[in-house]
Amino acid sequence: MNHNIILDVQGLSVNYQTYYGTVSALRDVTFKLKEKQSLGIIGESGSGKSTLAFSIMNYLASNGSTDGNILYQGENILEKSEREMVGLRGNKIAMVYQNPYSSLNPSLTIGKQLDEVTIFHRNLSKKDARKESVAILKDLYLGDAEGLVKRFPHQISGGMQQRICIAMALLCRPDLMILDEPTTALDVTTEAVILDLINDLKKRYQMSMIYISHDMGVVNKVSDNIAVMYRGEVVEYGDKKSMFHKPEHPYTRALINCIPRSGIVKEEYRLNTIPGYVRKRSIDEGGCPFLDRCGKRVENCESRYGLREIAEDHFTACDRAFAKDVADDSLIPKKVDVIEKTEDGEALNIVNLYKTFNSRGKKVRAVDGLNFSLKKNNVLGIVGESGCGKSTLGYTVTGLLKPSKGKIYFDGTDISMTWKRRSPEVLKEIQLIFQNPGRSLNPSFTIEQIIGRPMKRLLGIKSKTERRERIIEILKQVDLGKEYLKRKATQLSGGEMQRVAVARAFVLSPGLIVCDEPTSALDVSVQSSVLNLLTDLQQRSGASYIFISHDLNVVNYISDYIMVMYLGRIVEFGKRDEVTSPPYHPYTEALLSAVPDVDPALTKGAVRLEGAPPNPTKKIKGCPFAGRCHKKIGEICENVTPEPVGFGEIHSIACHLYSAD
Amino acid sequence: MFFIRRFIVRLGSMVATLAVMSFLIFFLVELMPGDVAQMVLGQNSTPEGLASLRESMGLNDPFLVRYWRWFSGLLQGDLGESLYMRGVAINSILWRKVGHSLVLAITALLFYVPLSIFFGVVAGVRAGKLSDQIISFFGLATMALPEFVSGVLFITLFSVKLKILPITSVIPIGESLWGNLNILILPALSITIVMFGYVSRMQRSSMIQVMDSDYVRAATLKGLPRRYVIFRHALKNALLPTITIIGMNMGWLFGGLIVVETLFGFPGLGSLTMSAIKTRDVPLIEACVLFITFIFVVSTLITDTLYGVLNPRVRLAKGVD
Ligand code: SF4
Ligand code: SF4
Repeated sequence: MNHNIILDVQGLSVNYQTYYGTVSALRDVTFKLKEKQSLGIIGESGSGKSTLAFSIMNYLASNGSTDGNILYQGENILEKSEREMVGLRGNKIAMVYQNPYSSLNPSLTIGKQLDEVTIFHRNLSKKDARKESVAILKDLYLGDAEGLVKRFPHQISGGMQQRICIAMALLCRPDLMILDEPTTALDVTTEAVILDLINDLKKRYQMSMIYISHDMGVVNKVSDNIAVMYRGEVVEYGDKKSMFHKPEHPYTRALINCIPRSGIVKEEYRLNTIPGYVRKRSIDEGGCPFLDRCGKRVENCESRYGLREIAEDHFTACDRAFAKDVADDSLIPKKVDVIEKTEDGEALNIVNLYKTFNSRGKKVRAVDGLNFSLKKNNVLGIVGESGCGKSTLGYTVTGLLKPSKGKIYFDGTDISMTWKRRSPEVLKEIQLIFQNPGRSLNPSFTIEQIIGRPMKRLLGIKSKTERRERIIEILKQVDLGKEYLKRKATQLSGGEMQRVAVARAFVLSPGLIVCDEPTSALDVSVQSSVLNLLTDLQQRSGASYIFISHDLNVVNYISDYIMVMYLGRIVEFGKRDEVTSPPYHPYTEALLSAVPDVDPALTKGAVRLEGAPPNPTKKIKGCPFAGRCHKKIGEICENVTPEPVGFGEIHSIACHLYSAD
Repeated sequence: MFFIRRFIVRLGSMVATLAVMSFLIFFLVELMPGDVAQMVLGQNSTPEGLASLRESMGLNDPFLVRYWRWFSGLLQGDLGESLYMRGVAINSILWRKVGHSLVLAITALLFYVPLSIFFGVVAGVRAGKLSDQIISFFGLATMALPEFVSGVLFITLFSVKLKILPITSVIPIGESLWGNLNILILPALSITIVMFGYVSRMQRSSMIQVMDSDYVRAATLKGLPRRYVIFRHALKNALLPTITIIGMNMGWLFGGLIVVETLFGFPGLGSLTMSAIKTRDVPLIEACVLFITFIFVVSTLITDTLYGVLNPRVRLAKGVD
């Protein structure tokens, strides 16, 4: 292997001139990338990882200024003119973005958007360019490439769009490919397929790669080396195994421990959290960027600064991850005492539930005949790809949607209607926590008003002082102080807003809370603290949760029961451990094996799901999963709908594999 | 299917709008001061003459009866007769003038659409730079300038000083518009001045938005030349809102013609309306105003339909999950 340096970033700093003063986005970033090497960059929001990617493309907003060098093949990119960059971009250095849908031009065909790359960079004729485009699509295992080039971006699925974007980046056989969160907007099953593809391409095309993500598991899968970024600095850099198993920087260690992963469940561990949140960095704030949140801080920390090489190819700005002088307290998952549960009766009972939408004269069966019940004081996690109906189910339970058919009972009361027609007692009992707290909290209200309003309306607490006392009490339970009473939602960080949303739900002492992707918009370090909070409050109050998430690790951590949905139906239901271990429904198996592992030492079975779920407007005769199933038995799967087969008390799987005999 | 249904619904609401408007117009014109019979007979009328004329014109019938008589005429394509030019069918005057106005409107359109789009695009691409500031200032200034002011300025400059264009846009008796096309230039320029600011600002802001989009960034980072990115990637998407605006303003443009045509004496729908008002020619006023309303409604309908066809994403209804 040839070990030439392809990219050498030296002391790169980027500052943005903003209305509030100069903000430091990158500070003294230094690293080298060798030929054919792949570097994963991990960071939370505000770490500067995307700014780094765009700096390498020499494409920064006009209010940005740079300092330092980015040497590509020995030449400084930052000194190149726009005209010189045109020759490099898309040709030698190519980029793939987070959101494939918005990165493709909606009014040009896919073929056109592919062709133009080779027409400009390789001077091909239109005809030859089209040949190249079709060839590259075939190279990426996209069937019917000739048909695909004639279509428009909105006519194909998200996973397909991202493959088109990757193909586009590869057309000129670049030396360096930069991928900026390319799978974040995709389903876990599609993500797994794309990650496999990227790994395969890396070998076949022999290129260097920079893969940017907030997700440790994903980075792990595609990179040799990992750089951890925090508030504009690379705090640690090294090969992935040593970074994971023996991190040196306290932030790296804390970050790894924040992530819920297989084997970590709420009965045994509390998740590690990092207090506080990522603050913007002003230009004159020096010293250790992690200072305000670090659990290993000591007196002389402030002056620590800059990367040092501590072993071959392993750099870190601080080596106190395992320092003995400060106790490890907040850095490892804590064992928790098992709490004895009382579960008398059913919180929720769903009988033959259907929800159909009309989309331009066609019927979309979003929820297609559900039957299940949830005991009191339990958490039911619901997983499935987007479009499986999990959110629709949540909305019908909370009354945002009216069921088309079937019944929903809460504690024995029929609630199969919209919230407008539910009694105040029922309204108080069922609460909803959304994914995006910023959108669900009224920005012009103070926190006191936000939490106080439902108390007045649904609990009938008229006295303002009484309300205030209760609000202060509930804020304390979500770790927010009195000073938040008068703040407005817009003044809070994402994590704080979600805490307020949790407080607003719990102040009514509800019996059931529907959590719709409550932590998906949060950074991992904040996510873990919200998960801990939700777990504590649930166990203390005895409320039940319906916990909807695309993240199987999160669901696995918090749930007592798991329900797997596909195309509006339940394919598997059971206790958490029953669902996450064999016997599996083939779809569950595929979902589980798609989840990327955080620990690089682990590797998992590779069941890969191709394609997307079938069109929900079509009536399906047999098993909804038949088109993608790797275990398909034959005719019976196409023609007969599999009925749920019971295993033990609750566990059931709807698949002919188990009903065949 | 979806489109046809949508179109039919729109069409229905358009017909309803027109019917309601016809009633309102009739009602409002009715409120105008002055007695129609008096106006017809002029100074030397006798009370008996007035009474018999009122009787023969049906002016003594109740309001609703008169409205219905007029409206049922409309349905059969009969706009009635002019009062001022007694016995002349409005149909025979109106359509020729409408034709003239259409030619003027199209000329104006040919002037201002390319011009405003071009400068709007330039300003949008160079947002914040000097060229943008100049164009934006000019756009704002012209928007504030009423047609009659710019019209007078043009007349002074081109007709009085330079003497290259006629002062008025009258068609000499016995000649047709086609032999006198130069009379279109000044009125069309005045309209251009008014519309320019509006359309170019629209184009500018949609261009800025598109230039800021992910797909334009992606196109740039594919290493495509800037010019190509602007024309092939940005422009088509940035034109969409502008087309909508231009379409929706067709009705407005026709309204604006009244002022311009009167100023230049151009023989179109606008000056016909003005002279009808001056002479209290009630049936003619009604016909003219109704026709302008018709243009408003039709142009909205067309724009609406066009927008749906042009933008594939309008058609995409998103599911819930
Ligand atoms: S320098 Fe101090 S505050 Fe910063 S990471 Fe190291 S131990 Fe923590
Ligand atoms: S019924 Fe057949 S197609 Fe469906 S999941 Fe089972 S094996 Fe696969």
